Amino acid sequence: MGDQQQLILATGGYDHTIKVWQAHTGNCIKTMRFVETSQVNALDRTPDKTRLAACGYQCIRLYDLESNCTAPVINFDGVQKNVTRLGFQEDGNWMFTAGEDHHVRIWDMIAAPPHCSRVFDCEAPVNAACLHPNQVEIAMGSQNGSVFLWDVKSERHERIVPEVDASIQDVAISPDGRYLAAANNKGNCYIWSLTSQDQKMSTLHPTKKIQAHSRYILRCKFSPDSRLLLTTSGDGTVCIWKTDDFSKWRELRIENYWVWDAAFSADSKWLFTASSDGIARLWKLQTKSTIRDYTGHTKAITALSFKDEIVGK
Amino acid sequence: MATYSNQHWLLSHIRNSFISTDDTGMCETVMLSDDMPKHYLRKFGNSGAGGDHYHWRRAHKTPPTGGGTTPDRNTRHPDAPLQEVDFICYPGLDLSDDEEDMSTHSFDIQMYPEVGAHRFRSNTAQKLEKLDIAKRRAARIKSVNYLEEVQPPDRDDFFKRKELPLSKAAPAKKEPKANDDELSDEGVQSQLSEQLAKSPKQAQNRFIEFARFDGTSQVGMQTKRINVFLNMLPDPDRNYPLKICVVATAKIQEVIGFVCYRTSLQYPDVPLKSLQHYALYMTEDNDDMEDFPPLDNREPCSKFGFSQLTLAERRPLAPVTRVDYHSQLGSKSMTSVEDKTALSDAAVKALQNISLNGGTSDPGGAGGGGGGDSPHDNVKEYEKRLLNHNDMLEAPMHRTFRLNIIDKRFFKSDVTLGISGERIEIDQCKNAKFWPQKKPVSTPIDFVAHCEILERRHLKALLRIWLKSNSSSPSFSTGCTSAPINASVTTLNAGSGSAGIAHSPSSPGHSSSLFSSSNIRFKHYDFDTDTHTAEQIQNKLNCILEMRSSDLRREFLLQRDRKQEKRQLKL
Repeated sequence: MGDQQQLILATGGYDHTIKVWQAHTGNCIKTMRFVETSQVNALDRTPDKTRLAACGYQCIRLYDLESNCTAPVINFDGVQKNVTRLGFQEDGNWMFTAGEDHHVRIWDMIAAPPHCSRVFDCEAPVNAACLHPNQVEIAMGSQNGSVFLWDVKSERHERIVPEVDASIQDVAISPDGRYLAAANNKGNCYIWSLTSQDQKMSTLHPTKKIQAHSRYILRCKFSPDSRLLLTTSGDGTVCIWKTDDFSKWRELRIENYWVWDAAFSADSKWLFTASSDGIARLWKLQTKSTIRDYTGHTKAITALSFKDEIVGK
Repeated sequence: MATYSNQHWLLSHIRNSFISTDDTGMCETVMLSDDMPKHYLRKFGNSGAGGDHYHWRRAHKTPPTGGGTTPDRNTRHPDAPLQEVDFICYPGLDLSDDEEDMSTHSFDIQMYPEVGAHRFRSNTAQKLEKLDIAKRRAARIKSVNYLEEVQPPDRDDFFKRKELPLSKAAPAKKEPKANDDELSDEGVQSQLSEQLAKSPKQAQNRFIEFARFDGTSQVGMQTKRINVFLNMLPDPDRNYPLKICVVATAKIQEVIGFVCYRTSLQYPDVPLKSLQHYALYMTEDNDDMEDFPPLDNREPCSKFGFSQLTLAERRPLAPVTRVDYHSQLGSKSMTSVEDKTALSDAAVKALQNISLNGGTSDPGGAGGGGGGDSPHDNVKEYEKRLLNHNDMLEAPMHRTFRLNIIDKRFFKSDVTLGISGERIEIDQCKNAKFWPQKKPVSTPIDFVAHCEILERRHLKALLRIWLKSNSSSPSFSTGCTSAPINASVTTLNAGSGSAGIAHSPSSPGHSSSLFSSSNIRFKHYDFDTDTHTAEQIQNKLNCILEMRSSDLRREFLLQRDRKQEKRQLKL
């Protein structure tokens, strides 16, 4: 009943816990134990918002957000190495996971129990993966610097190496499907334009290289309106770029701390950040000021998930 | 199994098991004096007693016995007594005994904490139960094998390409009016914006910084569960504790913050004060607070073993409101809200007193009917009265003085004397080097009878404060929790050992002879200070006493007058 009003932010980090926050007040609603031996690498919610998926070192877990139970409802056994990303198809039919075991897997979530329906081998540890809004293509970035675009339906793929001797840290595709961004550990962010015709796989056209940060980029993400691109970095900043011309629009600073993850609100006016000081913050982009702190984690926050909705004009 | 019937071996084995598995060391302490194996050996020597002893041990199964550390391993003496024991022991015992005895030491180390067969079983049962719980819990968790074979989807439409609305960004691409710093608002509003707009700015919990002491679901970190009763809640709620789990390293101050945080979430309508107003008190099953001081704010909560506490507004320290030691001589200190209100009440009372009685009688005792009719006298009178009024107004204010208390006629120690409309407090100064620190004494003003200056020597004065002192003092119902005077007398004397702060008149040879006629007895504290301070104190205290117009004071003065009359008669 209350879930329509309840807008939550989920965060996870090095303290092996996942916390669920009431987004607009900053109050922690729930704390869930993650795996004792693992940090949280990525968080995502099922599109129906009832479950929260988290991945870490040798683990993938799904938690029920509606019950009071803090134990997972689904646990993956036999996971090797770090699982770096996961995400859901927009209907929740399937989930993808990317791991340092070189594989990106597609999991059929309708089946009970879930089973693997596709595997892609990147031949190097996969650091990042994201789903194209067309719901059939997955962009991946690997530690050896390759960027892949994989069509899960036709199982075709394309591979590009934008920069040698650099590890791709994150990839992102704009919600309007126009751009693919890949950020690496040298602080550079590469942009490709995506075009697609007649149900065929998208093609990549190099568009721009941004020297976004002086250090490690940890995440890149497009805003829901596709007009902004953010990059978070180990240099303690979040840079926000306008996709018109990829010029810098805003820079948010959390001095001396790594900014591990960030998420826009649905209207692209607010931004959540997760940083290594153990505090998640809510920023008003207009003024570049923080308006909420989410304190409770005892160590660095490395992942967050926020699902917002447009409520009207 | 034969070897396990060796009594001595068994006894020492049991004993050592107890000792070696008890980390607290208690067993060793307890058993030190009760070395059963030794007893056994001794009795054993006393022909035949060993057998009885054995049976006795069997029948009663008293576990805490044994003493493998006994150096003499003479169980297998081929002597006569041994033959008797052999009735009980299995034959062939002697053959390997030497080795067995040696091995008692190493066996100890391998022992499980639980000694005794039935305990083993329960341990197993416990383990089984744990496994069972884990299993049941696991049953609720669906398990997926990550490395399973790939099963391509059987449905063709499992992966369905979604047509994207043809990029509407094309027209939006050129935004002529988009200035550099503003992104044009397309008029969309998110749920977050809506909720943020609705929630006022102060919605940010002011105790939020304490949220991080939440111990729930902390992994690899010691936590502590405490049930906290919240004293500030309305009646039905306050009977139910708030169950919190905090990080064990959190300081009490931080625990209070965390409790406030949780309270503010759970009872958003209950107004909370700032942290300094609250303290954690020990509590019983219900929410009655004990009369103990609150837990020290600076200590980590792991230090305290309480599973139940009460969060309440900080009380003034019982039994004495501590006075700032470093305050200058005669400085005013308002120590707590409670004191302040009490003082203000007293001040109001004093005012009423003055306005009511000012015209007719003179409460200051300045001699209303001085008799002087000349205008000059009148002015003087008026001035005096004004001054007196000021004194009266200020009298109930809390004020501290530093002076020397005279002990056993000639010992002096540095004390702080606090006087307010409520009570007087005597607190020894910290820097008193020689005497052990004494407990502070607090006396309700109702028990103070009189203050006088006994002696004035050049700049110095001897000040005496008279207090009621009788063991049959009625149970008084003042708000403060301080001990009654007679108790404070004992506190003084007991706490100080040989050197009590005050020589109390209740000690033989003092006041007991003075006011023997009355059932109320008085004692006094003597102070040594400069004349000015002495006068100040005398004025202040007597002002307070006069305003209260207590029976005690009247009784004291009456007794004194009688005494003087008697003396004069004798003379």
